[in-house]
Amino acid sequence: MADKAVSEEASMDGQAPKPTSIPVTDNTVWADASPLLDAACIGLRYGELIHGDNFNLFAAMSALEIMDPKMDSGIVCRYYSIDEAIENGAAPVPISLDSTIDVQCTIDIMDHLLACEAAWHKGHSLAQTVFSCIYLLRLDRTASHALLHSYGRVIRATCKAVLSVVSDARTHEEEDLFTMTYGLPLNGDGDEKCLSMLNAVEETISRQLRACKATSSKRRVSEDLEPLQYNPNLEEGFCKALLCRLRFRKHFFHVLTCMKRPQGRGLELARKHIASCISELEFILKSAEFLQSCSGESCEDDIDDKTTASGREPIGFDASLNSRLSAPTPPRAIKILSWKKAVEYFVKLLHDLDVICSYSLDPHLENLLRFVVQFQKSQPDLVARSHLQLLLVQDGKLYGRDPIFAVITKAAALPEATKNHDIQKNESILQLGQCYYILQLVMNLLKILCTNAAWQRRKLGKILQDWRVIYLQLELALRNEFGEVSSSSNDENICMKIFQHILIWVEEQTYWIACRFLMLGFELELYSASEYCMVYWYSYAVLIKLAEKTHLKMAVSYDTAKRKGKKKRDSPKDLVRESRIPPAVLFLQCYICLAEGLTMMLAALRNEFMILQSPSPFNTEQEKFVQHFELLQRACIPDHASYLSFKESTTHARFSTLVMYNYFKDAQRIAKEVKSSFSNDPDRLAELRKLEQVAEHNSVALNLICRLGALDPSLKVSFEFSHHPFFATAVVRRS
Amino acid sequence: MDASSEEKAEFEGEEIEYLSYGGEHHLPLIMSLVDQELSEPYSIFTYRYFVYLWPQLSFLAFHKGKCVGTVVCKMGEHRNTFRGYIAMLVVIKPYRGRGIATELVTRSIRMMMESGCEEVTLEAEVTNKGALALYGRLGFIRAKRLFHYYLNGVDAFRLKLLFPRQELHFSGPMMTNTDASHEHTDLDNT
Repeated sequence: MADKAVSEEASMDGQAPKPTSIPVTDNTVWADASPLLDAACIGLRYGELIHGDNFNLFAAMSALEIMDPKMDSGIVCRYYSIDEAIENGAAPVPISLDSTIDVQCTIDIMDHLLACEAAWHKGHSLAQTVFSCIYLLRLDRTASHALLHSYGRVIRATCKAVLSVVSDARTHEEEDLFTMTYGLPLNGDGDEKCLSMLNAVEETISRQLRACKATSSKRRVSEDLEPLQYNPNLEEGFCKALLCRLRFRKHFFHVLTCMKRPQGRGLELARKHIASCISELEFILKSAEFLQSCSGESCEDDIDDKTTASGREPIGFDASLNSRLSAPTPPRAIKILSWKKAVEYFVKLLHDLDVICSYSLDPHLENLLRFVVQFQKSQPDLVARSHLQLLLVQDGKLYGRDPIFAVITKAAALPEATKNHDIQKNESILQLGQCYYILQLVMNLLKILCTNAAWQRRKLGKILQDWRVIYLQLELALRNEFGEVSSSSNDENICMKIFQHILIWVEEQTYWIACRFLMLGFELELYSASEYCMVYWYSYAVLIKLAEKTHLKMAVSYDTAKRKGKKKRDSPKDLVRESRIPPAVLFLQCYICLAEGLTMMLAALRNEFMILQSPSPFNTEQEKFVQHFELLQRACIPDHASYLSFKESTTHARFSTLVMYNYFKDAQRIAKEVKSSFSNDPDRLAELRKLEQVAEHNSVALNLICRLGALDPSLKVSFEFSHHPFFATAVVRRS
Repeated sequence: MDASSEEKAEFEGEEIEYLSYGGEHHLPLIMSLVDQELSEPYSIFTYRYFVYLWPQLSFLAFHKGKCVGTVVCKMGEHRNTFRGYIAMLVVIKPYRGRGIATELVTRSIRMMMESGCEEVTLEAEVTNKGALALYGRLGFIRAKRLFHYYLNGVDAFRLKLLFPRQELHFSGPMMTNTDASHEHTDLDNT
């Protein structure tokens, strides 16, 4: 190989690679190292290792990358470079001299590219998916083929646009394959004009479609237009198949452009393009029948697994080519999604993007948090989540529009009048550092909430410490500034009020995060059944604190409004309102009842029937408790939630007492009561209905176990998440 | 895994002999088992890395002179805790479901405990019910979920076993954690 001094890094401008060589200088000379290498090969036996000071077993193991053709000479590739592949006819231009076949194959390429794109979105590298297309790797070669060329340009520009969104958003090691682009020709000159090129091609095909329809109805055609391909019976079908594919790409590119506009200005227009995309995808699906019928190949059983609508293998793709060019390409083969699954993926992606585009950009943080949690329930993929993240936090502002501090003061339920004037005057009190830090915490929280559930939970656990620290600092500052002062000058009073509000809000937010952390554990299946009891117990402890802080915030807010002179007199209505528990708090109390009920039922099952225990030879329940709640305990969330207190609370749980004091019945009652307050909120109503179901089923199970449990050893109790993703339902069966 | 469709070996529990890694003669046995049953390709240097540096943590199971199972582990300091790591666990199909894997892992964990480890960790596919059940019975919890950890898109759980706290006697080698990826065979419930 020494004389083949051709650089492996094939030049990207489409020309043949130039031979390079390092010239000999005064101090250097070329020497043939082959004999030395041969001697070394003979000298070392299989599995032996040269052991040096800086080359130990760890280094050897880490250095070797099996199946990477750059390292593993045993890996055989079909082609060793893109040029070799092209020279051997792997990507002919035109694809065929027969125009019908050329069109068919072009459509196959488009379909396979869609499947590749979906596989990329789903977490594989660009190099092994979209850029396994030889035509894309040397797009200039296709200049004479308008259809392929314009389509390729749009794909390239689209990938670049999607890539920039995901790169700007917060991603991490598990999704980093997505953003790897080393060695790939993503930047094309003139790609900004790709849409106009596509439009031109679309226009031509539209005219060809009109022409063939006119011919079929025997009307005269004045245009001197060449048909798309030469089989007149297939002209209409092919034109339509191409048009919907081109139009889908056009509208999808528009969606990305619109959503990129700052402050959500393009969201409404994006929705229109999303609707067009979805309708074009429907046409694309419908075209499959026609394409399969004229493919001339027998109908195979596994047509659903194919990456093209026609069922044929596409021409011009080779995923192994990039393994010699791109840096960390995982050397393993990946499976490209089937064409059908790819279309399904894009339909889902578009629906998820539509939800984002329909969002009202609510300036209230708690509503936003609820929206994000709700959005995540549909398990959106990386591209959709990245778009949401970028919409929420732009230029250090919410939606690029609302200063985060204003958002916080609103969330802290500071009365409207307090905000601007007083805060600007008293900014010095909230030391600049703390102020900045709180803003960072909020922005960070919003970004984290948009990531995938697994990573999200780990991050939420870590930031608990940060939120706790800021709370303690604020509390200290509050005490230092105001001591135990009850009331002094009006100004100082206002400062103190601001401090108080923000302090309570920070605590409330901290417990909200803790709650989400615990609940995500169920979604991610991190808890085994024998651990449910401690998890519900801990959740109960956190929920109680959350409800307390939420209630306190509302009470303090009302109080502040009163003191500002908003309320001249305590009217009877005011007194009633003050004593009534706010619906948001009642909602939480419903959760609390369910958590407590489940804790006690699980504890009673263990105490009385010895089930759901998990004795281990190496550790005890205490170690499991410590591990599951380590991050919460470290942040003292909440105080005094130790393993000892868990045992104390649950050791005496018995069914006889549980049936008398039935937490599930309480939950049912509260859920019913609070429904009317949320009549305009379909998400919360749906949630309440689920909670009612959980409460009802568990109440029935409780009674059943109490009556029959001791008498009937064949009764088996299991816990399933049939009604709610967080609150389990006890299922009693006879084995 | 449907046990009835596989050819199951007939044996009594006492017939299985467990040996600690004894040297070079064991290496090809371990390699062939792991190569045969797991899809991750490892170089010989990966095996050597584990068995040379921590021979006391690897065990083999024999039945009538034939090697039917093995476990390969390491231990070292990771972020101020002394931690054991289970890298590979294999039992050949006809011998599964009889507690051999549990015994292999148990011996290794015991050795880690005696060597002063505070915890033991490993990754397992979320779909590997057998492995999850095995480690669950030994006291492991699912500490984290790792999204798309395996290249086929499957998530993994990071499993962790925390030993009851005791006075630490740290005398082991100082090694950084490589987080070498590994797999476990799909094991039946015992």
